[in-house]
Amino acid sequence: MARRVAVVGAGMTKFVRRAQETGKELSWEASRAALDSCELGLKDVDAVCLTSAPDAFDGVHMKGEYLSDGAGAFGKPFIRTYVGGGSGVFTAIQAWYTVASGMADVVLAVAEEKMSSTQPHPQGAFLTIFDNILERPLGPNLLWIFALEMNRYMNAYGLDKRDIAAVAVKNKRNAADHPAALLGQGDITIEDVLASETLAWPVQRLDVSPISDGAVAVIVASEEAARRITDRPVWIDGVGWNLDTAYWTNRDLVFPEYVANAARMAYDMAGITEPRKQIHVAEPYDPFDYKELHHLEGLLLFDRGKAPEAARDGVLNRDGDLPSCPSGGLLGVGNPIAAAGLMKIAELFWQLRGEAGARQVPGTPERGVAQAWGDLMQVGTVVVMGRDGASAPTQATPALSVIQTPPFATAGHALSEEEFRSATGAVEHDLDARYAWDAGVAIGRFLDGLEEGLILGRECRSCRRILVPPRMFCERCFRGTDAWVEVEQTGIVQTFSICHVRWDMQPLDEPEIPAVISIDGSDGGLLHMLGNVAPDDVSVGLAVEAVWRPESERTGSILDIAHFRPRGEA
Amino acid sequence: MLEKIALPDEVRRWDGEFPVRHRYTPGVAGSAFFTALRDRGVLLGSRCEACSYTYVPARLFCERCFAELAADTEVGPGGALVSFTIGFVGLEGEPLEEPETIGLVRLDGADSVLVHRVLDADEPLEIGERVEVVLRPDGERTGTILDIEGLRSVD
Amino acid sequence: MEPRVAVVGIGHAGFVPISAGVSYKELMYEAAQRAYFDAGIDPRTEVDSFVCCSEDLIEGTSIFDEYVPDQLGAMQRPVQTVAADGLFGLVTGMMLIRSGIASVVAVEAHSKVSDVRSLGAVEAFALDPVLNRPLGISTFTVAGLEMNAFLERTGLSEEHCAMVAAKNRTNALDNPRAAYPARLVTEDVDDSSPVSWPLRELELAERADGCIVLVLAAEDRARSLTEAPVWLLGAGWSSGSPTLESRMWGEADSTTRAAEAAYRRAGIQDPGEEVDLAEVDDTFAFRELQHLEALGLGEASDVAAMLEDGELDVDGDLPVNASGGSLGQGNLFEANGLVRVLECVEQLRGEAGERQVDEAYVAVAQSARAMPSTSAAVAVLANDAGAGG
Repeated sequence: MARRVAVVGAGMTKFVRRAQETGKELSWEASRAALDSCELGLKDVDAVCLTSAPDAFDGVHMKGEYLSDGAGAFGKPFIRTYVGGGSGVFTAIQAWYTVASGMADVVLAVAEEKMSSTQPHPQGAFLTIFDNILERPLGPNLLWIFALEMNRYMNAYGLDKRDIAAVAVKNKRNAADHPAALLGQGDITIEDVLASETLAWPVQRLDVSPISDGAVAVIVASEEAARRITDRPVWIDGVGWNLDTAYWTNRDLVFPEYVANAARMAYDMAGITEPRKQIHVAEPYDPFDYKELHHLEGLLLFDRGKAPEAARDGVLNRDGDLPSCPSGGLLGVGNPIAAAGLMKIAELFWQLRGEAGARQVPGTPERGVAQAWGDLMQVGTVVVMGRDGASAPTQATPALSVIQTPPFATAGHALSEEEFRSATGAVEHDLDARYAWDAGVAIGRFLDGLEEGLILGRECRSCRRILVPPRMFCERCFRGTDAWVEVEQTGIVQTFSICHVRWDMQPLDEPEIPAVISIDGSDGGLLHMLGNVAPDDVSVGLAVEAVWRPESERTGSILDIAHFRPRGEA
Repeated sequence: MLEKIALPDEVRRWDGEFPVRHRYTPGVAGSAFFTALRDRGVLLGSRCEACSYTYVPARLFCERCFAELAADTEVGPGGALVSFTIGFVGLEGEPLEEPETIGLVRLDGADSVLVHRVLDADEPLEIGERVEVVLRPDGERTGTILDIEGLRSVD
Repeated sequence: MEPRVAVVGIGHAGFVPISAGVSYKELMYEAAQRAYFDAGIDPRTEVDSFVCCSEDLIEGTSIFDEYVPDQLGAMQRPVQTVAADGLFGLVTGMMLIRSGIASVVAVEAHSKVSDVRSLGAVEAFALDPVLNRPLGISTFTVAGLEMNAFLERTGLSEEHCAMVAAKNRTNALDNPRAAYPARLVTEDVDDSSPVSWPLRELELAERADGCIVLVLAAEDRARSLTEAPVWLLGAGWSSGSPTLESRMWGEADSTTRAAEAAYRRAGIQDPGEEVDLAEVDDTFAFRELQHLEALGLGEASDVAAMLEDGELDVDGDLPVNASGGSLGQGNLFEANGLVRVLECVEQLRGEAGERQVDEAYVAVAQSARAMPSTSAAVAVLANDAGAGG
């Protein structure tokens, strides 16, 4: 059977808007802090695990290799894994199997992000996460996917924005006690959040976590090594991860099934049968306030649609029944993507050892769960951690005295925008990366159809679905799809957003209305724009129809459909 | 797959880019290195005593033992040519108008090498020969690696 | 005792200089279908974990990881991406099985670089942005510097490198999936245009498209799935300095470290004697010689002598790149490692046709990532006879 594996040390840099350090230096600062926290040196490390989210941010191809020296990988086994926003928590999973497999006794696990390198605004790099042929031409802003999901979630349960805003308030207040936090604010209120600028309705500025630079590192060890290193190891009791289909427009966005799958995998391994009772502290992924609630439900800690009232009732506060994001989360500490996820692992490490200082959750929390999320609303990564005695909760455990958090977050030099612009030695680079993506059989034919003014789908006769966008393989049945089907040109709005900023965050003169539209006669949907309609007249469930460009202007593109308008409108 | 494309005109390609632009800070150590290069025309390295290794350009940390380092050691301007190559094509394989020689120099006092252009590389080069770093004149340096014009053979 | 791990199925699509009319997803689906058919399993119910290998900039999509599950049968399953060569993905699959969290793992890597218009600019984007990129150098420059340093240190000649290119391109004539087979002689290589002296054009592996999917299983499961498991006896991986400034120029030190770990775990004491064939990185011809030295087959001069004496030929004592290598099959970038494993598996199963190596029991697959990286991985594979039953 697999060896027991524990986290024995942790360190991080401050999370800042613009770091002076290179990504390598940030990685080193965090790694060094983690090693120092358990009095180990680089020579004690058998292998290095690194995660970092898109190369597009730091601006280096094969970014993992570039960062590797800062992550202590010189002369060592080194692998970078990458599951988008889920990466940070996955670092701990990667470290877990590296040790559990017997390939290493002590692992340095590092997560780094330097988003400030991207110009003119890091948000712009997110354009490239969307489907290269069917979505990017629409100029999608990352905010869209959150707004679309948030709208769907709120709509499904009739949620009050106040309850969602309560999460942002909780986390930013919690973060005021985090030495590394970028956006801690002890006196923020729900009214502040509700009054902030609407970026892409229903998403407002204070619902969103800030773009940041930073790095976090943890030391992970086998049981034997762990007991030599510390008298308070925190065990990795369960790990789980799950990736849903890329065809996100075909999914109901109300419940993150992939988070639940990952959670079940982790709980199963940890022997957790009643998560709500057996998990004492949670660090769910909170890039936006509603996401924390969405994820708490996905983690099976609250029933569907019930997390918001927990936020409202204070259940999720540090002194509540199930403290959630006692660190301050991404909303409060900052969001250097991968580092933010690993920060949650570090937080549970400190919480379960009683070393979280002013952020310490009262009582003697024995078990915690950290979770991250990413890709196109697709991946869930979950880790359950527990301290000694956690698996036998009936034993009396001594109360942990609250001690000062060891100094772990002093590094990370923030630059002002002015300093960033004028830094000696700074270099600019405009990447010349050009592609001619082969549309292949399915999308090639789909584009042919669009050029002819038709929407085509593929039929899988096994699961009896008509797939839009079409694919030559059915992802459910894993078999070739059978036939082409011409589907309707009408559909229903599943969710929508009113977006006031462009993909690069420049303000729009007129708001755009992106929507996920289910296509009649199919089991699929498309991301597209709504037109010929005032924002106030748009609702979930609105019946719409495609408006085509004139035949002579069609080229075989998703833009051959100019937009969708309410049915019956002339 | 039950269907394939067998006719050339049915193949569709979608043109696209990866539209990103970046501004890279040189880092804590890089900042010291480039400031010294620009203002004083000196090349600063970092010495790790534990590893007996001097890095150039200066570094914040030793990659071998993780010790914190400072930009504390002046190196060069002379050194030994460790390797060189003569480039005939550009990034996409397109022929260059003039071949360009790039060399690695281990500067006196350094253990690592510096990568740069070899100037006036008409005479055949030999690995091991003495070269020196040629800087842009005072007042023309801006604090980048291009403040170094290149490497030149020393006779 | 951790379970032994075996390759129980493998499938590929390609390899061709340009795969027109299939998307990368469809290319992956084709390889996956073949792999699962070969293994006799249904991925929807019988694969526990999936490992994919890719780099965003090569694909032209950030978080490329998002787009892999559907065509591999991995929807709503544990899927992860390793930002590295396929051999690192293989090692990851092995760790997942040895950790006990998975019994069957699918590993995938592909190349669809025919979609990339500015491959050189993308590759150069891996260079340090402050110290190296402003010089306008390319990955060819790095290869040229490395080749020159290697030849200088070892005393090997450009002629030796030309012999490697000739051997591998010619070997590829017997490989039905090779993209660049050619009856090449050293004079052809000498006559080819200089790219970054001393590196010449015919010493460079040209790009190709393809995909490889393989299925790993823990021992019990492996035995129930196949009569010809190919055991992963041991593997190692290592990185050097990523910087041009402080790396060990001229030496494949990462391959040395990775090989030591792999041999130790596989119980190999004398690779020259115990290994029957090897598939190693030859994306630049000189690399084959450099990696063979690092794999412990002898000093560089010994390796050169083996090359000169024909010992590295398909009918020699230790066939290296009987497949034709990357020079002959094409450079499949992050999929190269699995291309090498594919050949090892076919050889060890006795399915290598015209290029079948006699008495193939133990094989070594090695991979080094693209310039300017210094990461390498080594895997030792064996059939039942080679693994001692």
